[in-house]
Amino acid sequence: MKQISKTSELPLRVLLVDETFERAALLKHALQEAGYQLAAHVTSSADLPGLVSELMPDVIIIASDSPDRDTLEHLCVISRDQPRPIVMFTHDDDSEKIRTAIQAGVSAYVVDGLKSERLRPIMDVAMARFQEFQSMRRELEKAEDLLAGRKDLDRAKGILMKQRGWTEEEAYQALRKIAMDKGLKLAEVARQVIAVADLLG
Amino acid sequence: MINGAEFPTMAPAAPHAVRGFGISDAPEQKEVKVGFMPLTDCASVVIASVMGFDEKYGIKIVLSKEASWAAVRDKLVNGELDAAHVLYGLIYGVQLGIGGLKHEMSVLMTLNNNGQGITLSNHLKDKGVISGETLKKLIDAENRSYTFAQTFPTGTHAMWLYYWLASHGVNPLSDAKTITVPPPQMVANMRVGNMDGFCVGEPWNNRAIYDKIGFTAATSQDIWKDHPEKVLGSTSEFVQKNPNTARALIMALLDASKFIDASSNRHRVAEIIAGKSYVDAPIEVIENRFMGDYEDGLGRRWHESNHMKFYNDGMVNFPYLSDGMWFLTQHKRWGLLKDDPDYLEVAKKINQTELYKQAAGQVGVPVPASAMRSSRLMDGMVWDGSDPKKYAASFKVRATAG
Repeated sequence: MKQISKTSELPLRVLLVDETFERAALLKHALQEAGYQLAAHVTSSADLPGLVSELMPDVIIIASDSPDRDTLEHLCVISRDQPRPIVMFTHDDDSEKIRTAIQAGVSAYVVDGLKSERLRPIMDVAMARFQEFQSMRRELEKAEDLLAGRKDLDRAKGILMKQRGWTEEEAYQALRKIAMDKGLKLAEVARQVIAVADLLG
Repeated sequence: MINGAEFPTMAPAAPHAVRGFGISDAPEQKEVKVGFMPLTDCASVVIASVMGFDEKYGIKIVLSKEASWAAVRDKLVNGELDAAHVLYGLIYGVQLGIGGLKHEMSVLMTLNNNGQGITLSNHLKDKGVISGETLKKLIDAENRSYTFAQTFPTGTHAMWLYYWLASHGVNPLSDAKTITVPPPQMVANMRVGNMDGFCVGEPWNNRAIYDKIGFTAATSQDIWKDHPEKVLGSTSEFVQKNPNTARALIMALLDASKFIDASSNRHRVAEIIAGKSYVDAPIEVIENRFMGDYEDGLGRRWHESNHMKFYNDGMVNFPYLSDGMWFLTQHKRWGLLKDDPDYLEVAKKINQTELYKQAAGQVGVPVPASAMRSSRLMDGMVWDGSDPKKYAASFKVRATAG
């Protein structure tokens, strides 16, 4: 898969959080078999945030029944700029449950005792899904910016129509000409017109 | 009233003419899965099940002990749990999508008031810290990083901790580091020096004293007398599909709440919840504060009249809109919400006041005349739900930028 080529070149670094040693051992083995690098395995950690910022793992894998999930939750809330895919594993392979969890923002579910050959595709899907989600969020932010720009443009056009007696089309062309002449964005010109109009009352 | 809540007059609800259930009142779903966290205030959901109050109203509560608040939230959202003993602020955070997950949620009733606390480490005591004021002095005098823990970023303990620190001039976001730690791990983490203080529900503050790790610098009732704490949370989908089950659940929990608040029952309740399947802590750690017998680990002992309340003649349980809105004002204050939400609309959507009134009416529990109540918090600020936007913006200590 091209869009996640980065993951196939460099081994993904995984932080594993699980208090059950036997279960973690199985998963560690499967991860290594599938070509992932284990950044660390912790059974429980008060300083999970410190650990995450120190190790910078690409993926965090945590047991669904781990109390440390609340600590990770804190990271999701405070580090909106540094999100990481979180993969959960569980002994429960109810597909409906997994589907809702994924909708809820968990990148993927790994079911206990999973064979290494199945782990790889799941992790790939998790990464792809996470990246897709991140780019969707960026698109959304862009769209919101665009919408704000359009609102400014409408206001600026309104000001010119009122003060100059122009039609909407004439106002738009005038703004567009200034934007092109000065090499500015249309929304930028609109904001300047609004600022000047505010200044002159 | 100083530093306390003023309750509107409580009028006894009209007793329902027929106590039995007609066909239309029959619960849509008989078995109800209810999640809880191992804390003293899980008592009402546990007692409703153990004492069989559920069966009285035609339902069967199936209890599920959870390991994290994140798990409680996920299981509510994906339907693995029908309802849960849950942090007030968490439900509001999920409704508004703070931290990612967004879902339509419901609050059926308030489960308890009071009974949480702020513990500071004995290491701070050695440096002369015995209160918020002395903590502020130390932070000003000794320049190092100070770490405080709470239990969930949008939850009640985060808000009590932030409010308390801010009231003493300490900005929890810029003057200190805050982390999230699961309640049963608080004391162990303080023991190994991972934090200077924490805010958590009982019995974990008392446990810190019992283990000689820390002392109680403030109780949550010092911050806000009769504050809302845990609620019976669910999703709006569950409530819409199963209004009769939801009502039956409220009735069973009102019975349980009454039972717990009768002081003659409290010892028995403490014994039950101390068990391995529930709080899993020594009864002597749970019972003192549960009965109102406090000591602060600094040598002061007192009887607390504002200890953890579950019923208090029904004043605890009504899901006041102003209570829910308060959490939103604090989410805004601390930058968890970027913009002001429509405070009242959100609270009206989440808090099932009508359903609660119907249930309370059936079991003869009084309901207040107004869905708003007025309270004065520790810093003298009055919150009555009337102008949430202004209230949220009125705090001097708050999140900076954004």
